[in-house]
Amino acid sequence: MPHLPLELRQYLTNAARRDFLYHCGLGLGSLALGAMQAQAAAPATSNPTAPRPPHFPAKAKGVIQLFMAGGPSQLELFDYKPKLQALHGKPVPQSYLEGKRFAFLKPNATLLGTKRKFAQHGASGAELSELLPHTAKIADDIAIVRTMHTDNFNHGPAKLIAQTGFQNFGAPTFGSWLLYGLGSESENLPGYVVLLSGPRGPRGGAYLWSNGFLPSHLQGTPLRSSGEPILNLANPAGVDAARQERTVQTIARLNALRHAVTGDDEIAARTASYELAFRMQTSAPELVDISDETQETLDLYGVKPGESSFAHNVLLARRLIERGVRCVTLFHTDWDHHGGGENLEGYLDKLCRETDQPCSALVQDLKRRGMLDDTLVVWGGEFGRTPMGEVRATVGRDHHIDAYTIWLAGGGVRGGQTLGATDELGFYSEDGSDRHHVHDLHATTLHLMGLDHERLTFKHQGRNFKITDVAGEVIQPLVG
Amino acid sequence: MLIARLFRGSLRPALVALMLVFFAAGSLRAAEPVDYARDIKPLLAANCFQCHGPDKQESDLRLDAGRSILAGGNSGPAVVPSHSDESLLIQAVEGEADVVSRMPPEDEAEPLAAEQIALLRRWIDAGAKFPEDDAPLAAKQRNVDHWSFQPIARPAPPPVTNRAWVASPIDAFVLAKLEAAQIQPSPAADRVTLIRRLSLDLIGLLPTPEEVQAFVADERPDAYERLVDRLLASPRYGERWGRLWLDQARYADSHGYTNDGPRSIWPYRDYVLHAFNRDLPFDQFTIEQLAGDLLPDATAEQIVATGFHRNTQINDEGGSDAEQYRVEAVVDRVSTTGIVFMGLTYGCARCHDHKFDPISQRNFYEMFAFFNSQDEPNYDAPLVAPNASKLPAQREEISRFAAALKALDAKADNAEQAKQELTARLDAAKKQEAAIRAREFASTMVLRERSQPRETYVHIRGEFLRKGKPVTTATPEFLPPLKPSDNSAGSVPTSRLDLARWLVADEHPLTPRVIANRQWQAFFGQGLVRTDNDFGLQGENPSHPELLDWLARSLLDHDWSLKALHREIVLSATYQQASTARPELEPIDTNNRLLARQNRLRLDAELIRDAALTAAGLLSTKMHGASVFPPQPAGVMQRTRNPGRKWNTSTGEDRYRRGLYTFFWRSTPHPFLKSFDAPDSNTACTRRERSNTPIQALTLLNDEAFVEASQMLALRLLRALPEGDDPARIDQLFRWCLCREPGSAERAAVEELVQAERQASQASKPELTFITAQQLPESVTAQEAVVWATVARAMLNLDEFMTRE
Repeated sequence: MPHLPLELRQYLTNAARRDFLYHCGLGLGSLALGAMQAQAAAPATSNPTAPRPPHFPAKAKGVIQLFMAGGPSQLELFDYKPKLQALHGKPVPQSYLEGKRFAFLKPNATLLGTKRKFAQHGASGAELSELLPHTAKIADDIAIVRTMHTDNFNHGPAKLIAQTGFQNFGAPTFGSWLLYGLGSESENLPGYVVLLSGPRGPRGGAYLWSNGFLPSHLQGTPLRSSGEPILNLANPAGVDAARQERTVQTIARLNALRHAVTGDDEIAARTASYELAFRMQTSAPELVDISDETQETLDLYGVKPGESSFAHNVLLARRLIERGVRCVTLFHTDWDHHGGGENLEGYLDKLCRETDQPCSALVQDLKRRGMLDDTLVVWGGEFGRTPMGEVRATVGRDHHIDAYTIWLAGGGVRGGQTLGATDELGFYSEDGSDRHHVHDLHATTLHLMGLDHERLTFKHQGRNFKITDVAGEVIQPLVG
Repeated sequence: MLIARLFRGSLRPALVALMLVFFAAGSLRAAEPVDYARDIKPLLAANCFQCHGPDKQESDLRLDAGRSILAGGNSGPAVVPSHSDESLLIQAVEGEADVVSRMPPEDEAEPLAAEQIALLRRWIDAGAKFPEDDAPLAAKQRNVDHWSFQPIARPAPPPVTNRAWVASPIDAFVLAKLEAAQIQPSPAADRVTLIRRLSLDLIGLLPTPEEVQAFVADERPDAYERLVDRLLASPRYGERWGRLWLDQARYADSHGYTNDGPRSIWPYRDYVLHAFNRDLPFDQFTIEQLAGDLLPDATAEQIVATGFHRNTQINDEGGSDAEQYRVEAVVDRVSTTGIVFMGLTYGCARCHDHKFDPISQRNFYEMFAFFNSQDEPNYDAPLVAPNASKLPAQREEISRFAAALKALDAKADNAEQAKQELTARLDAAKKQEAAIRAREFASTMVLRERSQPRETYVHIRGEFLRKGKPVTTATPEFLPPLKPSDNSAGSVPTSRLDLARWLVADEHPLTPRVIANRQWQAFFGQGLVRTDNDFGLQGENPSHPELLDWLARSLLDHDWSLKALHREIVLSATYQQASTARPELEPIDTNNRLLARQNRLRLDAELIRDAALTAAGLLSTKMHGASVFPPQPAGVMQRTRNPGRKWNTSTGEDRYRRGLYTFFWRSTPHPFLKSFDAPDSNTACTRRERSNTPIQALTLLNDEAFVEASQMLALRLLRALPEGDDPARIDQLFRWCLCREPGSAERAAVEELVQAERQASQASKPELTFITAQQLPESVTAQEAVVWATVARAMLNLDEFMTRE
């Protein structure tokens, strides 16, 4: 069901769904009929992730998070500091270090000026590094925020803050909160999908798409970049689609008979899950089959068919959003450039080559398809990098949580602006410049999705939990 | 009256309230008069006292005493007796009037539920009565009169009319409520349902058809009781109930956090299983797990037991601050101790005083102090009794060889060859010793008290670097006093051992109730207090307060024997009722709080797989030992920090062990467990969710382990009935999977599938992954095996198969 009008999608989720499927021959028509006959007066099942109205009219219907796992260096990409270059190799002025802790840095670390060249782009004059030639093309569509800050300088906890608002395990991730608040408009695919790329999985693992204390059907479903897109999606050897359908049909009939005896509506919900599973067996392979994309589109993203890559995942993200999926989160590793294997020299160039073009292509592609207005795109990592270099085999920087850069586009975000300024060395936000916590970002993105972060609560262990905990303010210049 | 209210303009709330009053929808007590002390004060305490109570009186209003409610605050009286519509309190909680803003404030708490508002209205309309002696709470002693903090009563079973139904005192408590609401209990479940339910609840396994047959045919009056006792004595009982405890202990086989390296702590898991099987009294079980190392002459087992609080995560990510994560682990120990034993959300008081319960931030760090002074070593747990060990003999041999070699060395003559020979034998003996050690001991993680205790401070705003006031070990003032014992170490006035003994002291109001409630929860799917992990002011009140106290007393009277409590519960008529839905009760008792029937419950993750393996005849009954690696889909491990990490699928018997023995990687749990709501093991899980997702359907339909089970089930069937006709085979499948005979419509539905599959299989080449043609009886073709494998697969995917009814 590519990009059906909202009303039609809602129609599909209501009790008439079985009828519709039957008459339109979408998949399990005969099955649905069989189940209906057997069930007779049994109540219709309810889809636990059926769309729900937002708190107020939403700007965005779907969100794509481009998560650069490891902590990309804002100083090489977005935040140009000539003074840092001038003081290259000098010790850090003591006033910058009072009361601060760093993960790996030795006290003797010295300032590190970037070797990258910066230039202004677009009518807005956004300042971008030479590493981002493709992002330069969308300079007027994106809003850059240079004064983000977070609470923890270790990867795992900082990623959890970025995804859940809390640094300890057990809280729901952003996508789960969205599904909880809004449901999904996708009938044939999970409403919250996760895509992974890079040399290894992100630190934090499955917690980064966990439902936490929310009900388990709200968890993110990772689509795999090669082989089966969902675990156990393919029929086992010796089972073709027809056999699978006969099997599921028999299960539905027997379930319906038991429903009649026990009166337990959970049985109808079970049957509905089997039907969705069966539909996913068709729709998920269709989703990942990109043979219907034009060569021009593939080139735009830099996708090579058959090769799993970040670019490929970004294209899948667009296809997922087209199909009504609420939240797609991409993790790309590894931006942890301390020096050593992962450094600010060749390794950073490689990462930018992998990501710059597809991220830019996504915004361009959404725009020309008329989808950018209601699709929110968020680019960023769990923190940034220090103005000091690390003394390692190659050039690198340590984790920095007091000022780092993200960008947003689409979904009601006012593009073509750069928010916030850091001090001349890039340590902190400049005096008088607004700084924004991850909680503020969550409040803002929820706001664009039509949700008030103060009202999106879930009671757990005696407390009303929010993704923003007891903080969070909508970043007005972004949404105004 | 209805029309009059409609014209007053408050249509919605008035209607809801009316419906609630007249149809008693969703309210347990709608028929009973509202009682201020029981119904109103706790409601106000939970929702209003924070700002209008002993500590704060916003707008000069306090609601913690009847008189002060009538006196009101800056806006006038909060309540006009007999006129709920005119009462500011009602206008505030309904939030639709202009004269007063919505309470509680929108950004601080959720609005009151319609039924709570209805309760307030009924109290006001009945005259807003309160006892003469109702006094405001003293500041700082707030909320201590909450029901769960009161001593446990010894209630007598209430009188009932239908005395024949009462099989246990439990039933009198349940029936009294049902009779008051004029509801009949459900009839007892039939014997087939009963034995399947009882087996799944007590040992977590399906009964065999022979066991079902024997029980159905057993005409002795105590047939059911005999069945109960047989199951309680089964070693499988420890596996079932031990697993539920391991959820609370947050047991896992890896460290968690970023790197999530493997750990060895399974001896603790085996300790738990063993404890349940020998019915170790729960008080002793608690003491050993929290402070086994401090017991005089602690046994190896008691030291292993302290692994309970070693199930915290360990962060070994480069650059992380060890102290920070040690503190996180201690915080987790405090929270877990609070939730698991006392049903108190201690964790809420880490950064500030608890907003609702009388736990201050200082109380939190006083509890923290108990867990702040331990080292976290590994311990070699002996797996064999000391007198059965082969080590002493082996060591003797080593010293013999060593001595001989020394003697030889002393002689400077030409004994080169003898020396070489002796050295080789010594080396071999040492290797042998290492092998014996590996067999006889397993490393496990334990707690050990430090000789020098750490100092404990309040952490300002929960930040471990911001030290506030120093504190020492203590328990909250509103609970019975902590008694220090003689063996307290050093400068710490009370020890972990004192804390453990205090938790299970007879006079502790919370632990016996919390533990009894959780046992009930396992047998009915929900506790008498549904918020089993929150007995504080934000928790729910018990549906049957007297029954809860009776169960808690029973637990104490039986010296904390959980088996005795389980026996009492399953022997009750309440437990034995049918679970069939009763639509006529839906409007008045939506969630079956009155227990007019049993509940139909989806099985826990591990039990679904156990059941499939049982039906297929594959299940291994081997107990204990290192965790195992049953098949899982390829590629799961690639999502970790360590993509090179392998899941080396177990072979032989270990492929078919019960689910609880599956190795648990915290960052990449076995997808089957995750899909079916097994806990993530990061924090204590006292109650599992029961979700229903398409991923579950894909798992049971397509996962290798289930495909194998369905094919092996088909093979088992075809071997048992090589010449069997279709109906006979279908009946046998029903017996193995559902323990019952099929109805005619069910048999017909399956026969249709058989026919369709036969037709389809003629056109295709038979493909079976787990069965070879040689294994099949001569009379059965491979095509026919495919047909029955498909039927078996459908059976293992039935809702009823994964449900205990």
